[in-house]
Amino acid sequence: MTVNPFDLKSALLAKHAQHVVLVHFPIALLISSVAFDLLAIGTGSRSLAKAAYHNLIGAAITALAAVGTGVLAWQLQLEGENLRGNLRLHLGLGAWSALLIWTLAWWRSRQERQDSGSLTVGYWAIAFLAVLIVAFTGHLGGILSGVEVPN
Amino acid sequence: MKNARWMLGVVLTVLAAFTSIALTQPGVAKVSDQPASAEVTIDNFSFGPTTLTVTAGTSVTWKNNDDVPHTVVSDDKVFRSKALDTDDKFSYAFTKPGTYNYFCSIHPKMTAKVVVE
Repeated sequence: MTVNPFDLKSALLAKHAQHVVLVHFPIALLISSVAFDLLAIGTGSRSLAKAAYHNLIGAAITALAAVGTGVLAWQLQLEGENLRGNLRLHLGLGAWSALLIWTLAWWRSRQERQDSGSLTVGYWAIAFLAVLIVAFTGHLGGILSGVEVPN
Repeated sequence: MKNARWMLGVVLTVLAAFTSIALTQPGVAKVSDQPASAEVTIDNFSFGPTTLTVTAGTSVTWKNNDDVPHTVVSDDKVFRSKALDTDDKFSYAFTKPGTYNYFCSIHPKMTAKVVVE
């Protein structure tokens, strides 16, 4: 069962292995987006605000892959069984994370199209909530995958 | 003749007493009827022992002592557990001799095998 990390075929056929790899992209891109937005406010830079927007769109697109591979992992590795405990919590929080990222991306895209100015309080509230939930989901995923060992 | 009858009576009484004691202790009587059993523990992301050798008919029970869920899945899909949370157990009775390699489907690097003789 040992998968050679340099064997592309084995890695691609490792069923759920893609989830633990791909999930890092929406996490990183969302956090970068919020960080760029904060920097954009601090510096008044339009470029940084643009960078934040593009990072958020990247997060929304890669979240599709993360959710898809997560559901595949559930169906293929656990045969779609009723999840309990941390697995169920991870699934629920992951779904909420994706939903919040997509909401932010939709909100931001609409704003870009209308070329309206600064971000609203509501946007910031959802953005910070999304970062919190994504962080907690990722932390839980780290424990489940064995990367992090619970105390 | 009288002594012989008396001795026979004593022997029969003792035999009857031992028989009744044996029959009224179900644990003792059933020992030979029970299938053999063995346990594999899941600790710190590994199965222990990594190789378990048992005879055909043995029921093997896996117990998850970790704080994270694990599964027990044979390579050739002969047996498969649900996700086992902490202290959950899964049992499978091995009836056919052979080597059964298995792994945790959540953490595929966790592998072990059961050898049935």
